[in-house]
Amino acid sequence: MQYAVTAIYISSLCLCAFVRYLVFEHDIMRQMAIIVNLWKATVIQAMEYRASFVFAIVANFFDFIFGLLQYLVFFTAAKSIAGWEADHMLVLYGVFMLVFALHFILLYPNLVAMGDMVNSGNLDLLLTKPVDSQLIISFRRISLEELGSIGTATILLGWLLYRGVIVFDIGNFLLFGVSMVSSLLLVYCVFVLLICLAVIMERLDNMSQLLWSLFALCRYPVDIYPDRIRYAFMSFLPVAFIATIPASALLGRSDSATVWHGFAMAVVAVLFCSWLWRRAIGAYTSAGG
Amino acid sequence: MNIFAAGGKLAVLAAYFKIILTYRGMLLIHGLRLLLLPMVLASAWLSIEKAPGNPYTDSDYLLYYLLVPLIMNLTDSRIVFKFSLAVKDGSLNRELLKPFPPLLGYLLESIANNTMQLLYLIPFSFAFWLFVRDRIVLAHLQPSLLIFFVAAILIGWLARLAVSGSIALLSFWIEDVTTLNLILNGGIWALLGGMIVPVATFPERIRYIAELLPYRYMLSFPIEIFSGRLSTPEIYQGFATALLWIIVFSVIMRIIWKCGLKTYTAYGG
Repeated sequence: MQYAVTAIYISSLCLCAFVRYLVFEHDIMRQMAIIVNLWKATVIQAMEYRASFVFAIVANFFDFIFGLLQYLVFFTAAKSIAGWEADHMLVLYGVFMLVFALHFILLYPNLVAMGDMVNSGNLDLLLTKPVDSQLIISFRRISLEELGSIGTATILLGWLLYRGVIVFDIGNFLLFGVSMVSSLLLVYCVFVLLICLAVIMERLDNMSQLLWSLFALCRYPVDIYPDRIRYAFMSFLPVAFIATIPASALLGRSDSATVWHGFAMAVVAVLFCSWLWRRAIGAYTSAGG
Repeated sequence: MNIFAAGGKLAVLAAYFKIILTYRGMLLIHGLRLLLLPMVLASAWLSIEKAPGNPYTDSDYLLYYLLVPLIMNLTDSRIVFKFSLAVKDGSLNRELLKPFPPLLGYLLESIANNTMQLLYLIPFSFAFWLFVRDRIVLAHLQPSLLIFFVAAILIGWLARLAVSGSIALLSFWIEDVTTLNLILNGGIWALLGGMIVPVATFPERIRYIAELLPYRYMLSFPIEIFSGRLSTPEIYQGFATALLWIIVFSVIMRIIWKCGLKTYTAYGG
């Protein structure tokens, strides 16, 4: 308990310092306003093709349903997976879908755009703008097609709460919140790594497919893997912290030390990736044209 | 026109091989993506507590998911994406002008693409097999079983091509067939074809449905033959069902193609 209090104290201090840095040194408010305006523009653009937008939402809905059916089918031949029963797996799926949908809304369209931006030379144009390059490349676009999945995932989790699979407990919910933040930060790190790779290699198609392969690892709890791989997933390849740890926090199976460990790792990873991005863009000599 | 006159077709096939080899990086990414999920599923199945009546042992599951990437890629078909794109961007117009049946082009492309996957599939499967070889039993393998296995892969590939082709050709009327494909081809295939759960481990009633549908023959059936768990009458029965589906969907495809060409007005350019 004391450990958790200290961890909360230290991390809130760090957060305050970071926010102060962003607001005063970095002019974050102006940059946020630019991002919000860019988001508005992409939403208006998407609404131009309304039929295609509706189709995409329907497709994503079926994707969600099929994901759910997968687990139902799985449990016709199995009673439990590595100690996770059907209900627990549904919690995992709900959490997984939340992370996946948020990544799809915020990061995916930017990743797709980045694919040909280096190759076509449009990246140079963006770099000349007086805004933070990492920020604008990461959050320039938004895609609302997966908004339905967030709704459906929330309904699923709400239903599980109602049924008593998830027990209402403030401590668990707090841990869940923290682990969700670290999960999203880690996904963002993979995203930054991929765009760095695109800058270095000058051509990289189907980056989203690479990212989705990573998500395939998160659909099942990390407890299924052999010991050595599980150790890797809990430490230097933090796959476990993307869906398994948030889900077990929600189920009250995770201790706070693991969750805070993941949070610290995520913060360090974000700082490292942003350093890496500055290095990559510093060495960039413009391609395409 | 004689479908079986080689000449031109071999040249086209060779051309497709060369096109695929130009994008080696893509091939690798595609491969990585398709190898990962079977590995995850194999680990999942090795750590389950079995439901009563599930006949598979750990060794069966290992063999099953060792073969899944292989079969999945060999029976793969990308006609839905290729054809709907060709209708949308107008490249179908050019295809129609050539003295070469456009649908045969897709068939040859599929052969080139699927054979190419063997480049990394065989080394990978072999490495994986070395890793787990003391846990896999292969003593039952006979030449006749292997012949059935290869035949089943061919049949599965044709079935996949026929089902995907029928969906793809609907692009003449529907602008976006990928949703339909996601449901009929991706979703049900993953659920009842043997991707998530080996068909043989389903409860009786679900297994019966899965065996009637064409999807089992695209993935699970060849592996079931290879694992030696099917009797000869069961194998023949499987082949008959799959062939029936291939005939049905080929006829459907032919009808759609004829009607579609009449309504096709070649937009794009």
